[in-house]
Amino acid sequence: MSTVLIFSNNPQSFTDAIGFLEVLKQKGLNVDKIIGVTSNNSANTEDIKKLGILELYLYDSKSTDDQIAKGLFQLVKKFSPNIILSSSSKTNNSILAYLSGLLSLPMLTEISDLLNATSDTLTLSRSVLAGRAYSIESVKLPAIITITPKKFTPSNLAATNDIKLDNLPLQDTTVKIVEVTPKKREGVKIEDAEIVVGVGRGFKSKEDLKLAFELASLLGGEVGCSRPIAADLRWLPEDRWIGISMKKIRPKLYIAIGISGAPQHMSAVDAKIIVAVNKDKNASIFSYSDYGIVADLYQFLPILINKLKKK
Amino acid sequence: MPNIAAFVKISLDPNMIRTAGDDKIDTVNMQMSISEYDKNALEEAVKLKEKYGGKVIAFTALTWGPIDKKLKDTEVIQREILARGADELYVITSNLILNSSPLYTSILLAQAVKKVGNFDLYITGESSMDIGSSQISSRVASILGLPVITYVRELEYDPQNNLIRATRDLEDSYVKVEAELPVVISVTGEINQARIPTLLQIRRAFSKPVKILTDKDLNIPEQQLLLHKREDLKVIKINRKNIILEGKSLDEIADKLISKLREEGVLKV
Repeated sequence: MSTVLIFSNNPQSFTDAIGFLEVLKQKGLNVDKIIGVTSNNSANTEDIKKLGILELYLYDSKSTDDQIAKGLFQLVKKFSPNIILSSSSKTNNSILAYLSGLLSLPMLTEISDLLNATSDTLTLSRSVLAGRAYSIESVKLPAIITITPKKFTPSNLAATNDIKLDNLPLQDTTVKIVEVTPKKREGVKIEDAEIVVGVGRGFKSKEDLKLAFELASLLGGEVGCSRPIAADLRWLPEDRWIGISMKKIRPKLYIAIGISGAPQHMSAVDAKIIVAVNKDKNASIFSYSDYGIVADLYQFLPILINKLKKK
Repeated sequence: MPNIAAFVKISLDPNMIRTAGDDKIDTVNMQMSISEYDKNALEEAVKLKEKYGGKVIAFTALTWGPIDKKLKDTEVIQREILARGADELYVITSNLILNSSPLYTSILLAQAVKKVGNFDLYITGESSMDIGSSQISSRVASILGLPVITYVRELEYDPQNNLIRATRDLEDSYVKVEAELPVVISVTGEINQARIPTLLQIRRAFSKPVKILTDKDLNIPEQQLLLHKREDLKVIKINRKNIILEGKSLDEIADKLISKLREEGVLKV
């Protein structure tokens, strides 16, 4: 095994990718040379040096996906890497899928496990069917792989003294970036909470969510939500969105209130105990729960909150 | 708007998990439906057609076999794609794409659109609900030599300048972009509320053409070394107690819940 190219629109991808390479090494595949590519916005060369990357190519953060992919295409032609690696994100996947189309190479997104590796084939696992199943796939090298963020953590870092910096070659494009608006964040870490109260479409207005916040604060927990609450209605910021493509949580207790139980949501909940409150007794949330309460949340929550207040 | 190609996948439905034997997903018999976000993509295409004219041609690659069985099983869903407003539907069948590898699916989709005609806009959902690779839009774009705009949650067409203005919904930001046509886009589930076809639309769908495209039609060589193979597809079992707490009053149920949670050791208070 020779060269690996790590692409990253954000610093996290480098750490994830190096962690993945360690697992590859344990399976008997060694890497001689690592080439890095990242945006000039996120390039902290001091951190990247610690990861053992020999050459780092930078691109302007205002570049479009097709521009970056075509620039990567030039590098792939130059270095012929065996594996092109990144962590799975909307931007990383869009750019690398474009590259894979240019190269006619196989690409696997959101890889959570490396099962086997030979000199020309990797066997990998990824979650499919909205998290209800997993798929084992084999891929011939060279291939493009994006891995689930924070799944692979490097233990030992091989520091390099010299890192060669260069610019990624970019061509013109017919897409123009007009405006970038950062999303609102509260900085909550629902992924670390021991108790999470999840809210869904069963709530009729944003104001009514205060019931859930009161319950969460009485229990010493945090409030999370389903996709429509964050993405569609925007009642809560996206750092509270529980879903396979967003936050995954591992609390002791998850209380799902007014949540129908879409697999995309429930697959992101790994809780010891799951409680569901829903007025529809046929809601699929009940098949995912340990304790179910078939009731109108507007009637049940005030009673539950009162009882907890008295404790 | 001129002509739009919509890539609409007929997916295994994750709400209808079915296994064969212990834990293997039964892809042969599991219920299928139109992939969730592809409904939004089709809806957006049809809305543009209603406003600016042109045609919406839908393409679906049949990625689960056996081909003959699935062609028959999905007839109603094929009609549904037309009832949702597509003018024509092309169903792509090939052994090469069975088991849903985005590498081959994108090559065949690109071949199919090239064969059918010139399009000004190519549209699909952000990911499919079965395999969820999120690759098709970018891959097809690069094969066709076009730029791509993924995760679009707002879309406008400017007929004067023949360009689109789109807002991408990314993890940390919204990004507004402008692009000349032709371009390939993928849309998020938030871009619109896909319509439920009326009885009239369903009836009309029966007079719209469904055409099958095979390997031969698309000049795909029969034998090819597979670079990407799906070895296995297994269900993740849900092991929950599934106890419904009942009582004479909500008051009683609340008490039961609190005592159960104490027994489980998950209450801090």
